[in-house]
Amino acid sequence: MATASVVSALLAVTRRNPVHSMLFVLALFLHVAGIFLLLGAEFLAAVQVIVYAGAILIFYLFVVMLLDLPDEQVRPRFGRHWPFAAAVGASFVGLAWLARIQSDLAPAVTPSDQPLQGNLAAIGGALFGPFTLPFEIASLVLLAAIVGAVVLGRRKAA
Amino acid sequence: MNVPVSGVLGLSAVLFGVGVFGFLARRNIILMLISIEVMLNAVNLSLVGFSRHLQDLRGQILALFVIAVAAAEVGVGLGLVIALNRNKPGAGVADLTKLKW
Repeated sequence: MATASVVSALLAVTRRNPVHSMLFVLALFLHVAGIFLLLGAEFLAAVQVIVYAGAILIFYLFVVMLLDLPDEQVRPRFGRHWPFAAAVGASFVGLAWLARIQSDLAPAVTPSDQPLQGNLAAIGGALFGPFTLPFEIASLVLLAAIVGAVVLGRRKAA
Repeated sequence: MNVPVSGVLGLSAVLFGVGVFGFLARRNIILMLISIEVMLNAVNLSLVGFSRHLQDLRGQILALFVIAVAAAEVGVGLGLVIALNRNKPGAGVADLTKLKW
């Protein structure tokens, strides 16, 4: 699953046709949701499928098809400095890998008998318990985004 | 099923690198935004991995907030793309030289 997600991410950023790119990103999102399930985060897996694969990706597809990019096929996909970009990406991967090797990943907490449950009840209890203020701020962020999108998207005469 | 946290972190690092590469190399605004989504997904993955590793639910809560912010970012970003496209067709960043002096 990890290999499949890396391959689909690589294909997604290198495909020439934007719609193909979107479909590979969809595959990536679904694989990440599967990994969330394996990690015991069931609610986050469901949110990943619904919000990312369902809402965000469909939005992207709408915009791609709305804009109908005809010249994407003939123009070069990458800028002139794409080796530089590849070097930056690879160096970031190397850096993170180094940090991963050098950090001590021994279990900080002794694994309890029942593993951590990321189900809806636990997440909801945490969200409305100690995380009420960030939750409300997140709703405020979403409201600001809605207003911003409407303002940006409306016509000039309105 | 037991998933090692180091594997999750490695996958997250690789995905983030791919996202960085895509963001820097692509010349299409929509695909640059998609690369940002890939990076956010990598961060979510590492958050959930740490949440599992430390047996702490806060990582998953933070990942949930990251998803919310990603949704907001997509709304505003694609609104900007459509607004730009109305003025001048095309979604390449090379076309956007209006603010350049």
